[in-house]
Amino acid sequence: MNEQPVIRTQGLTRYFGARPAVYELNLEVPRGGVFALLGRNGSGKTTTIRMLLGLLEPTRGGGSILGYDIRSLPPEARARIGYLTEEHQLYGWMSVRECGEFQSRFFPTWNDKIFRGVIGHFGLRPTAYVKSLSRGERAGLCLALTLAPEPELLILDDPAVGLDPVARRALVESMIYLTRRSDRTIFFSTHQLPDVERVADHIAVLDRSVLRACCPLETFRNSVRQVRLRFAGTPPALPKIPGLLQAFRSEGELRVTCVHYNGATEAALRGLAPVQMEEMPISLEDAFISYLGDRGEKSFILSETEAQP
Amino acid sequence: MKTLVRKEMRENVRLAALGLVIYTLMLLSQYREYVVSPTNISQPLADSSLLWSTSWFCGIFGAVLGWLQVHNERRPDLWAFLIHRPMTRTGIFLGKVMAGLGLYALVVGLPLLGFIVWARLPGHVAAPFEFAMLRPVAAYALVGLLYYFAGMLGDLRQARWYASRALGVGVAIVVSLLVSASPESWQSLLLILIGTAILATAVWGGFQSDGHYRGQPVWGKAALTIALMVGCLIVAFMAAMLVSNFLPRNQLSGTSSSYFMTTNGTILKSTQGAGRPLEIVDLEGKPVLDEKTGKPIDPNGFNRRLGTAASLEVEQDGRPGDSTWMQRDLSLATPWRATQDTLWYYWSRYGRLVGYDVATRRCIGSLGPKGFARDMAGSGDRFSDVTGGAHVRTLATATTVFLVDVEQRTIRPLFTTPEDDPILAVHEIALIGHGRDCAAVVTKRLVYLLTAEGKTVWQIPYEPARASSTVFQLFVLEPPGQFALWLSPGGRWDEEARAKHPGHVMWIARDQGVLRSIDLPALPAPHYVPRFQEKLLSVVTPPALLATLPVTHVWVWGTGIPRELLLLSCAGAILVCLPVGLWLGRRYQFSIAALAGWAVFHLLFGVPGLLAFLSVQEWPAREPCPNCKRLRLVDRPQCARCGADWPPPEKTGTEVFAPLQAS
Repeated sequence: MNEQPVIRTQGLTRYFGARPAVYELNLEVPRGGVFALLGRNGSGKTTTIRMLLGLLEPTRGGGSILGYDIRSLPPEARARIGYLTEEHQLYGWMSVRECGEFQSRFFPTWNDKIFRGVIGHFGLRPTAYVKSLSRGERAGLCLALTLAPEPELLILDDPAVGLDPVARRALVESMIYLTRRSDRTIFFSTHQLPDVERVADHIAVLDRSVLRACCPLETFRNSVRQVRLRFAGTPPALPKIPGLLQAFRSEGELRVTCVHYNGATEAALRGLAPVQMEEMPISLEDAFISYLGDRGEKSFILSETEAQP
Repeated sequence: MKTLVRKEMRENVRLAALGLVIYTLMLLSQYREYVVSPTNISQPLADSSLLWSTSWFCGIFGAVLGWLQVHNERRPDLWAFLIHRPMTRTGIFLGKVMAGLGLYALVVGLPLLGFIVWARLPGHVAAPFEFAMLRPVAAYALVGLLYYFAGMLGDLRQARWYASRALGVGVAIVVSLLVSASPESWQSLLLILIGTAILATAVWGGFQSDGHYRGQPVWGKAALTIALMVGCLIVAFMAAMLVSNFLPRNQLSGTSSSYFMTTNGTILKSTQGAGRPLEIVDLEGKPVLDEKTGKPIDPNGFNRRLGTAASLEVEQDGRPGDSTWMQRDLSLATPWRATQDTLWYYWSRYGRLVGYDVATRRCIGSLGPKGFARDMAGSGDRFSDVTGGAHVRTLATATTVFLVDVEQRTIRPLFTTPEDDPILAVHEIALIGHGRDCAAVVTKRLVYLLTAEGKTVWQIPYEPARASSTVFQLFVLEPPGQFALWLSPGGRWDEEARAKHPGHVMWIARDQGVLRSIDLPALPAPHYVPRFQEKLLSVVTPPALLATLPVTHVWVWGTGIPRELLLLSCAGAILVCLPVGLWLGRRYQFSIAALAGWAVFHLLFGVPGLLAFLSVQEWPAREPCPNCKRLRLVDRPQCARCGADWPPPEKTGTEVFAPLQAS
């Protein structure tokens, strides 16, 4: 198997005016598997994808996709990359069948069985016009158009945005079906953490234009821990703890979420002399929210809250 | 490619259908106008209203079609859907353009073809037809292509609508204006080709970079810059003229002198200048006084004394006429006269009068020097071409002036000259006291004044003082029987030449011939001082354009381009545009080659060049360098001053990085 990463960026940066949308992104996406790009709105996910596909000129830095320079992707590279856009926009005047026919003429590897299979999975009538489709149906059609050429690399930009749970599930199922081919790589951005949990092997997290995490999903999950400390009275002020993501103080309790939990972290917490200290299970969604939410300590102690201006 | 072409055609078929209906209705309106007035003596295909409607329609439809072809997919996701396919961007551009041009050709071509077929088939239009008559309308149809690409460029460019987005249409507007003003058709065709090439290349460049300047091939950048420069020139001109409207209007500046003839045959010289009263003197330089007051005559008194003249111009061999190719093509068949049941045209192709029956709208025959013939060519006998002036009674061959009677379909000789003294020009004139149907005839050696019956009133030798004296002005003087003939340089000669050779005047009496003649003394060349408005316009005019105007014979000012205006334009370029361009270039770290290239551009194109430069460039943000603390461009990997790289993102201690294994 080719061990070269399918996507590689070096110092990839894009400014909009004076604001960096993506800053010094160094990313390597290995071949095969599902790679999820996570981040809050405006963190630079779509900008990254658009730069990777040569649809947006980087301000500086560069990268390669399937070994091709992202600034000048040749047609043969595009033939190997499937791209599903965020808004699922298509030509409203075309019917579902016409969309398939239109797209099939450009892609020599077009597999009509896949196209028909996916539109069937989403319950789309071939004669229906795109303009009459619901958002979920349009997403299904877009997915069918993206999958039918059997691309080596599939890039999906927030494919589940605006979809109801049923359509979302159908989309995820399609993605799971696709990953059966071991040489295929799926790179997708999303906010849907349950989907990530179901399908992703690796994740990358963009936080305010900067890459903060890039690791296997399990590594991320294991890195983020939540600990509950019980106190007889009001919890003491929290000392500086490396890797602290969030701390919630309430009457008799301090809940700390941190990353890279280790012996030093544990020692620092025990130094607070809690009555009880226990590690709490944390879901990926909670871990992710803690990771991307506002950092630092939040107090839910009534007297302290009232004292704040 | 075929798939893309088909998709584009289908996507824009509604607009095409709408355009087809609108243009068809416009042509039907022309058709109706012609049909409801059977005695309308014109060829609808060479009619100015057809040109007017075609030029407007092609411009608007072309622009809308081009704009819509890009606009349909301008939403980022749909654009990505279009672009992300195994096809080069050039291929996508070509697919769109082929479809667009195909639709344009259908929408404009089909109705026009129908209209031509209708006009061409005998029995429909009572007027001569030849294919050359279609060239003007074809030229305007081609100009529509420029608007098509300008429309595409307008929607493709990543710029604000209220700023530079629509500037590309400037090239189309300029070409539209110049096409009708070009002396020769090849010049118009060349202009259309150049304009189309510039705009098409700019659009192609835009497709390579999603409408951004950055990332375009060098040819795309160059074409875009030129296109916007032309647009900026128009905007700058309009702004300068708008500003001028708010300024007090100056009187004519500078001084100029001219000769005039009074009704009694006296020649006076008037001198006019800024801030000076009109000065009128006789040929000896004495002021002309009012008999009643004894004071110098005022302008009203001067105007009352002026004589009226009938003018005609003799064409010199080998000298091109003043008319444009479009005017010539539109007057291939000149409407001559309409009777109750016939329409007559002078058709230069046959050199004959060709008649059409009003009822059947078919050709009834032609009139030539040898009389009426059932066909158009007759026996090959032809009149000399009609040049200028009104001709309603007479036509001439090289040696004979004929009186034409289209009612009776007969001709009769009115005046004949020997073969070695050919007729150069005939002009029908109305002279007070000599009937309305007189004719002035100029032969190689003589000038005649004929009565309506062909009787010679007088004849004098044609003694042009110089070859340029081709304009004849015939004055009827008081008392009756007195005339003056004034020969002066023809229309293409500029004011300076006119001042140098103001004319040769002959005074003529009936039955006595020339009484006396003089060469008028040379006048001082007009001293022209540009007004503030003109100075303002020259500041916004590219120096390269001002310098080349005299070469291209586009005379904006009668005496050529005053040096002062050229200097002002150059000063604007050197003192404002060049420093601003260099400053911006250095600030944004242009390469030496780019700096030099833009410097030359600013010097050549001045203010519009600077505006275009500001319009096309995308200015990257600047941030303080963490190393040297000075501002550096965000699009450069290293600081230009200290060479430092960009720092990696600041660590928060929460980063999670681990090696990824391929699945």
